[in-house]
Amino acid sequence: MNSWFGNALTRAEAIDDWLHEKRAASLALLRDTDWPTRQTEAWKYTSLKKLEQLDFSDGSPAPVIDVSPISGLNSINLVFIDGVLQSIPADLPEGLTIMPLAQVPDEHQPWVLDQFAGVKPQQHLFGLINDTLATNGLVIDVAPQVDLKHPIHITQTMTAGNEAHCRTLVRVGAGARVTVIEHLAGNQESFNTSFTEYSLATKAELEHYRLALQSDAALTIGGSHFNLDTQATLNSTIVGYGSDLARIDVDISHQGEGTLAKLDAIYLLDKQTHFDLHSNIEHTAPNGTSDERVRGIVADKARAVFNGRIHIHRYAQKTSAELNNRNLLLSRDAEVDVKPELEIYADDVSCAHGATIAEIDQLALYYLRSRGIGLEQAHLMLNFGFINELIDQIPNAVLADWLRQQLSGRFTRMNEIKHSGQEATQ
Amino acid sequence: MTDQIEKAITREYEAGFTSSIESNTFEPGLNEEVIARLSAIKGEPQWMLDWRLKAFASWKKMPEPHWAHIDYSKIDFQAISYYSSPKSMDDKPKSLDEIDPELLATYEKLGIPLMEQQMLAGVAVDAVFDSVSVVTTFREKLKEAGVIFCSISEAIKEYPELVQKYLGSVVPRTDNYYAALNSAVFTDGSFVYVPKGVRCPMELSTYFRINEQNTGQFERTLVIADEGSHVSYLEGCSAPQRDENQLHAAVVELVALDDAQIKYSTVQNWYPGDEQGRGGIYNFVTKRAMCHKNAKVSWTQVETGSAITWKYPSCILRGDNSVGEFYSVALTRGRQQADTGTKMIHLGKNTRSTIISKGISAAQSNNSYRGLVKMMPTAEGARNYTQCDSLLIGDQCGAHTFPYIESRNPSAIVEHEATTSKVSDDQLFLCQQRGINSEKAVSMIVNGFCKEVFKQLPMEFAVEAGKLLEISLEGSVG
Repeated sequence: MNSWFGNALTRAEAIDDWLHEKRAASLALLRDTDWPTRQTEAWKYTSLKKLEQLDFSDGSPAPVIDVSPISGLNSINLVFIDGVLQSIPADLPEGLTIMPLAQVPDEHQPWVLDQFAGVKPQQHLFGLINDTLATNGLVIDVAPQVDLKHPIHITQTMTAGNEAHCRTLVRVGAGARVTVIEHLAGNQESFNTSFTEYSLATKAELEHYRLALQSDAALTIGGSHFNLDTQATLNSTIVGYGSDLARIDVDISHQGEGTLAKLDAIYLLDKQTHFDLHSNIEHTAPNGTSDERVRGIVADKARAVFNGRIHIHRYAQKTSAELNNRNLLLSRDAEVDVKPELEIYADDVSCAHGATIAEIDQLALYYLRSRGIGLEQAHLMLNFGFINELIDQIPNAVLADWLRQQLSGRFTRMNEIKHSGQEATQ
Repeated sequence: MTDQIEKAITREYEAGFTSSIESNTFEPGLNEEVIARLSAIKGEPQWMLDWRLKAFASWKKMPEPHWAHIDYSKIDFQAISYYSSPKSMDDKPKSLDEIDPELLATYEKLGIPLMEQQMLAGVAVDAVFDSVSVVTTFREKLKEAGVIFCSISEAIKEYPELVQKYLGSVVPRTDNYYAALNSAVFTDGSFVYVPKGVRCPMELSTYFRINEQNTGQFERTLVIADEGSHVSYLEGCSAPQRDENQLHAAVVELVALDDAQIKYSTVQNWYPGDEQGRGGIYNFVTKRAMCHKNAKVSWTQVETGSAITWKYPSCILRGDNSVGEFYSVALTRGRQQADTGTKMIHLGKNTRSTIISKGISAAQSNNSYRGLVKMMPTAEGARNYTQCDSLLIGDQCGAHTFPYIESRNPSAIVEHEATTSKVSDDQLFLCQQRGINSEKAVSMIVNGFCKEVFKQLPMEFAVEAGKLLEISLEGSVG
């Protein structure tokens, strides 16, 4: 056992709050779990060495972090800095209740206890760690039939030399509609885990974003987990930049009949960043539909890992599930490791998955250049086009514009790195 | 009908032909002494014994692998006898009259010639039979061409320099648990050497080698195609094998030197166990090919037997422009479990690989494709195309896909596609409307589903494989 893990267990023992029973159960599981190595299937391509070597002892004073809201989004903003919730807006719309995890009123405690560690599968090591350590977080309750116009925007950021564990629980009532944006930002040397558990009641609709925009030295491990009841709809978009260690687990469980889940993911990696996305879609009830599209651009010395599993249980007949993963590998030192998995136990289903890894299509490049577009511009156009297809389908136009801007900034950065690299070799 | 055939096969195995106690069978158990005895009986040189002992030493330290999507009770390696001398003529049934008529009916359906039927059923084939002359003419023809085709035991004695050079060069003795076990205790297998520039005049088949009949549960096959040579090797047989062994852990190594081509076809139909999943062969096989410059290796397999199949014929595409191909049909029924696929490791420039895998699961079986495509940084301009399709027949079975794709070269292109579906009602309806009954229709659809793979098989094999699927699927519909 490494010192970080041992230390985490010790800290977990000291926590005693109203979630104690839940935490104790997870702690017991955790004690029986081995620290992952390269032989551990779920961590085959992702090394935890950076976390094991984590040392914040020479902490320099933390610079102030700017967490300005996305302009024009008109969202309900909740900001965590180093795991500490700054404030909860006073005038929340009717039907929406937001409370800090540490202060859940008695009348809400039963369902929170039920949902805490109840949506997220047990086998996630860091999910268990988060169960035991997350004293900070949010509980969001959307009453049935409420149609929330304003997105809920949760920003989490870390200052140098800090570690934080956050847990968010969201309950979407029957027929309610809501947008939740989980936004992780910052690039300072830190470590955070952030797990969110969603439960969607009958005919509930959730528009979900996980903007994993932490980068560089910000180590981050987390997950978004969803339970879908009858005819619930989920439309989720994930964007990842990767950092020294970044890992996201997404679990979608189709528990009611006739559910629909759409999951789009984009990752854009450069420098020596690492990004690991594990998605797991469980169809346990009939007539479910899931559609997953994952696009990645991997440059420099970066490494992308994608594991997409679709599991169709025996009684989930008439399921339609599709997974498509496409990767652009732009550099000789970069690496892409993907594993799309299908596990199917029902016969009347239609399932498919596909995965490709390649560089930019030379013919497409030639086409653009033959029309007088410079090489660099052509590259940029094709790269951007590759992911823009998914951005275009983001339902929230303001957010889509904002993301487009962010991603172009990222492309500029990629280009700069490429040029400085070329100069160095010349 | 299927019931009857199933019964026939089951009865056959239950009754067995093993009642007689043979004097030259080892006590169950495995240790250094057993290996030394085995090596001594076979009259092996010291280097071979040392090699076996080293393999055994590493096997003892290895954990049993559990990553495959299969479920079986623990194998007691100390309860297995590791050497059994070939059965004498006296122990065998004297003629086909002593064989279960239902089994013979199956052979008949497959259109297997009488002589072959006798060999399969384990009938002691008299020396005056045609087979010997076939074997003799065949040996002479090969000799003329300079091709060496013999048992690996003979090769160890007669061509030690070749064996020493290539044995374990593709599948090292420490490669995996079952390969290490095989390296320690392998009893026999085939050895093929095709000299430079020679095109092997005929398809080599284990069928032609009489001594192959009784090779034990640990076969070792080594095929070496020297520069510019060409060979096609057929393994196994499409009819049910009456092999009572529980564990079958074989190793096959192929070496394709510069510009050489090897085509390796397998039709495997070992005893799959009964309806409840009792008995049956555990088939844990390691097959791998090393492809040098411009070489081409093609694996084609039709897997319908064994209680458990754990098999990943692989290609290491080391040389530039080398080509690896994998065509597979795996059919599982009853409570069979198959975890099979391939590995394509691209090292050389412009290497190409194609993977076509068709899995069919019926009844309560589970069928998994597990594959790895790896593009190393040196694999400039490499190309892979993978397609794995699954067909489900019945709602109690499972079909799974676990492809691993790792790319470290931007100029390499990797494509993977997988689909899962059932035989659609529309297709069935269309056939029935045209007077084809549902059973025939399913068999037709399945045959079409597998066509891409079947067309890779040598002619007679393809016909038999088609029929084999038909027989296996009987009773699965409706």
